[in-house]
Amino acid sequence: MSARAAIVEARGLAKVYPMPAGPVEALREVSLTVEPGDYVAISGPSGCGKSTLLHLLGCVDTPTSGSLLFEGRPVLALREEERSRIRLRRIGFVFQRFYLLPMLTAWENVELVQSEAGLPAAERRARTRELLTYVGLADRAGHRPSQLSGGEMQRVAIARALANRPGLVLADEPTGELDEETGEQIADLFDRVNADGTALVVVTHNLALAGRARRRLAMRSGRLAEPAAVAAT
Amino acid sequence: MSPLQFAWRSLSRQPARAWLGLTGMAVVGALLFDMLLLSRGLLVSFRDLLESTGFDIRVTATEALPGMGPALSDAASTAERLRGLPELADVVPVRFGSVALDDGDADGGGLRGAKRRGLAIVASEPRRRAEWKVVQGSDLAERGPGGRPEIVVNRAFAREEKVEPGSLVRLGSAPPAREFRVAGIVEFPFEAAGERMAGVTLAGFLDAFPAARRDEADLLLVASRPAVGAEAAVAAIRRARPDLHTFSIEDVLERLRQAEFSYFRQVSVVLATIASFFALLLVTTLLTVSVNQRLGEVAALRALGFSRRRITADLVAESALLVGGGGIVAVPLGLALARALDSILRRMPDLPQRLHFFVFEPRALALHAGFLVLAALLAAAYPVLLAARLPIAATLRKESVS
Amino acid sequence: MSVRLLVLFLALGLGAPARAAAGAASGSEAPEILVSRGLLRECGLSPGDVVMLSADPHGADARLFRVAGVYEPVPDPARFTAKRLEARMHLPDLLALTADPGEAAAADAVGAINIALKDPADAPAFARELAARAPAMSVVPAAAADDEHFVIIERFHLAISVVTMIGSTAFLLALMVIRADERREVAGLLRLLGLRRRRILAQALLEGLAIASAGAVFGVLFAAATQGAVNAFFQWRYDTTLVFVRVTPAIAARCVALALPLGVMAGLMASWTLLRRPVLDLLRR
Repeated sequence: MSARAAIVEARGLAKVYPMPAGPVEALREVSLTVEPGDYVAISGPSGCGKSTLLHLLGCVDTPTSGSLLFEGRPVLALREEERSRIRLRRIGFVFQRFYLLPMLTAWENVELVQSEAGLPAAERRARTRELLTYVGLADRAGHRPSQLSGGEMQRVAIARALANRPGLVLADEPTGELDEETGEQIADLFDRVNADGTALVVVTHNLALAGRARRRLAMRSGRLAEPAAVAAT
Repeated sequence: MSPLQFAWRSLSRQPARAWLGLTGMAVVGALLFDMLLLSRGLLVSFRDLLESTGFDIRVTATEALPGMGPALSDAASTAERLRGLPELADVVPVRFGSVALDDGDADGGGLRGAKRRGLAIVASEPRRRAEWKVVQGSDLAERGPGGRPEIVVNRAFAREEKVEPGSLVRLGSAPPAREFRVAGIVEFPFEAAGERMAGVTLAGFLDAFPAARRDEADLLLVASRPAVGAEAAVAAIRRARPDLHTFSIEDVLERLRQAEFSYFRQVSVVLATIASFFALLLVTTLLTVSVNQRLGEVAALRALGFSRRRITADLVAESALLVGGGGIVAVPLGLALARALDSILRRMPDLPQRLHFFVFEPRALALHAGFLVLAALLAAAYPVLLAARLPIAATLRKESVS
Repeated sequence: MSVRLLVLFLALGLGAPARAAAGAASGSEAPEILVSRGLLRECGLSPGDVVMLSADPHGADARLFRVAGVYEPVPDPARFTAKRLEARMHLPDLLALTADPGEAAAADAVGAINIALKDPADAPAFARELAARAPAMSVVPAAAADDEHFVIIERFHLAISVVTMIGSTAFLLALMVIRADERREVAGLLRLLGLRRRRILAQALLEGLAIASAGAVFGVLFAAATQGAVNAFFQWRYDTTLVFVRVTPAIAARCVALALPLGVMAGLMASWTLLRRPVLDLLRR
């Protein structure tokens, strides 16, 4: 058992969406702990609640019930501005559709979040250079997203997610828009990120990517289970 | 990256849209700026005209405009009494009239009076004549060579009648006409384009208008002592002669503002309101569409930790760039447009040539800037609300599905 | 030539009519006057009142008149901002009130003579002829007297309209560019499926036409619906019966005729900015 404090500690999380046809339970009694250096993959069919769980873990959304601690702080008690600050400094996000800003270059996309976090210019420059080299795109720093391939865009997005040295990176279908070979490259990159000490939670359909995680979880109808348990039900 | 830099990059992402937005704002801003110039232009210009005479107070018999109502009787003694007031520097009686010019045709010495041949006469004492400025020849003497009355005429009259200093003209309100010697060519501050005007002495006025009542004046022009000021001088005249109507330049302007000039003020208010609304609509539409097209991006930025305040600042900066950029271009554009509109309106008949409808004032520029700041803030309000209240998780989910 | 009535512009202040003391001896025999609605209200008069009028600012030689009725002055577009404090009286009464007793000719002098022609179209020719025959008179056809003011005001309004139209065109073009941009992928897909540019442009043209038509019709209807409010405001503001805004069929037709080509042009221009790009550029996210 690890002596280190958990990054995220979720207990009995539930999320209910009110719908015209009646409430939809997206998450039911989900408990999960993510510790520093963890690499967690969550798989499951579409609509089973994977992205909802990721959004709750990332302080983007709030649960209908249950408790959620981020680095020991109760997320539900935090104001939106404080949650924003946590997302900016402590969490990195990688999206399926990259969401790079099209009018900015790769360099500027990576630098933007550091600038928002208030890092000094010299430090930003050094960190951006370091990250673009880390993801193998130092030579594409001046290119805009429209001039990059899908895999390159996702690598820039990963560099952006790491920019403020977060403790946790959350990735939502990071290989969803990429071919198999490029997906492999992204999976390799995630391995390196995790090996360098950053905790990862990846939501994915990609079995190869999920297979690289140390903990693999499966979701069914809003409930979380270890793959074996899922297979047994 | 500051919100302004970010906004600049956002705008440059859709250059055609940004240029059209700026163009629209520049045109609408020019219209707004012009309406601000128009709202006070006539008053400012009229004040300049009134002040250019060197007299800051007018005294008439009634509230009617000079020449439109009854004249002041006992003008000489009234003027003399007012000159005795310590608050006043000078008092000059003025009379107005209109005569026909006798061209000396052999048709019985009748005065040819088609409209083209009319002549507006201003008469005042030869002591101080700021009512006109001599541009050629000399000013009036009480009596010219040979006891002949003298006249000064404006350029339009001199040009049309081909007269110059030393020429003789015959005029009168009724036959027989009287001969006047042209002493000089002058400019009247209130002369209309092409209007034929002349100045004579009060004695010369009676030569031109033999039937006119003696010792009357349509107006007393009064100059206050600089140390006293117009308001105190007006009060002194009102105390001395409460039966007379005494107006400072401010009083005259207030009256014109309430009545004669109010149409253009109303027009300017209506058009400025429409222009502001139009600017608001234009920028709000562009920003709203822009936000709607990048909801996913906004949600992603929020997920990445960008605060609501930051997103608000970005949108306000974008609005400010559109409105500010257009507003800056609007100023020279508006000035050029104002010249064109002014030249149209100044063709109105009987309008003093030196009167302008559109007059630049720093105040108008400050108001223009104020309106634009307000427009930028209001225009950003709805898109900001849209972006700030965006449900992050739901939007990301929706965007990934679409 | 008979001129029965003249308008007397009354000077305010001491020149305003002073109500005669009740039971003034000759009140019932006083000549009659009509007072304008504005004067009636300003001085708190009512028909039957006896008033004293004088041409002298100090009220010298005042005469008694009986207010026979009230009238609405003919609206004068050139002076609509002025208060219409007026009265009408018989010419002999006016002359008796205003003529200088020291001047014999003044009792038979008038400021202007209004002439009604059998055929108003003859006015310019008649004016020319009369001016030639009576050179001391200024003869002006009434219809032409204020024409120049209105030609200039009309030019001013036209210039403002042109500026507004330029602004509106930029706005419309921006909207059409946005619309075209929103359908970038659809346009790319259609072209990929083999549809020719002309076919897509025709579609954009029809759409531009529909938007411009709807906008123009809405604009005309809006103007027609609000003209009453605009007129009511200005009529209240200036206390006049003048009509300031009137949406005529000719104006509506001109508005639509201008808006339609502009809409079509904006639609085509916006679409062309898309269609000139390579198909794959349109499809690329």
